[in-house]
Amino acid sequence: MGFHRAGLDRYTGFKTSPYTEGALFYGEKPVVENALEIIQAQTELVAEPAATPACEPGST
Amino acid sequence: MTTDLTEAEIGLIREKIKEKYTGVAATGAGGCFRYPTGIDGLRKLGYPEDILRQFPPAVLELFCGVGNPFSLGPLYPGESVLDLGCGAGVDTFIAATMVGPRGRVVGLDVTPEMIAKARANLALTGLKNVAFDVGEAESLPFPNDSFDAVISNGVINLTVDKEKVLQEVHRVLKPGGRLMVADMVLMSALPEERAGRVENWFQ
Repeated sequence: MGFHRAGLDRYTGFKTSPYTEGALFYGEKPVVENALEIIQAQTELVAEPAATPACEPGST
Repeated sequence: MTTDLTEAEIGLIREKIKEKYTGVAATGAGGCFRYPTGIDGLRKLGYPEDILRQFPPAVLELFCGVGNPFSLGPLYPGESVLDLGCGAGVDTFIAATMVGPRGRVVGLDVTPEMIAKARANLALTGLKNVAFDVGEAESLPFPNDSFDAVISNGVINLTVDKEKVLQEVHRVLKPGGRLMVADMVLMSALPEERAGRVENWFQ
């Protein structure tokens, strides 16, 4: 679970007490859930070369 | 839940916040807040006059927001929007004019008296694409992927379990949906005599 592009957009200067200030927050729900994990998995598959033995076991 | 509050303190906070806003619904916002409310608050927060002029003055009287969530980006015609903690419905009505008759806006608030006030105000606006419900931000009464946008104004700071609120908002947003929040944040440590007081939540 998680928003992307989420977080504080800006402070507004609006005061309701000496200790607090107004703030604006923005976030977006990703279009495809787990998109990052999918991309990472695909990258790993591409990056890892196929394991082809140099020679058959027992051959010369 | 990421809080050191006891169950009794959490219950007291929720009860007192409801009590405060029940009073606001009954007698008005005057004297209940340390900042401008109603039309004065809307103007101070930069709501455009041409938008405010679309509504009868009585509809704007109970506005208690602390920012302008619409300044974060547009709402588009045809979209579905949730106003989380809608109070008497001012932001709900503004959102309804933005999404137009093909869109819909739901206002949700924990205080039944505020929802009653919002419904009375709705009758004054003539809008047909708005509905109001009583409900809690930590347990939203909507299916997954229901809304294109969730707006909220001065409400999440009053919720005890903010992580749960954000999980719920994420759940009810459609993929690609936007969260647009105006709220208050603590900028410096409270003085020792005020730190940790339960009363800080509802004074």
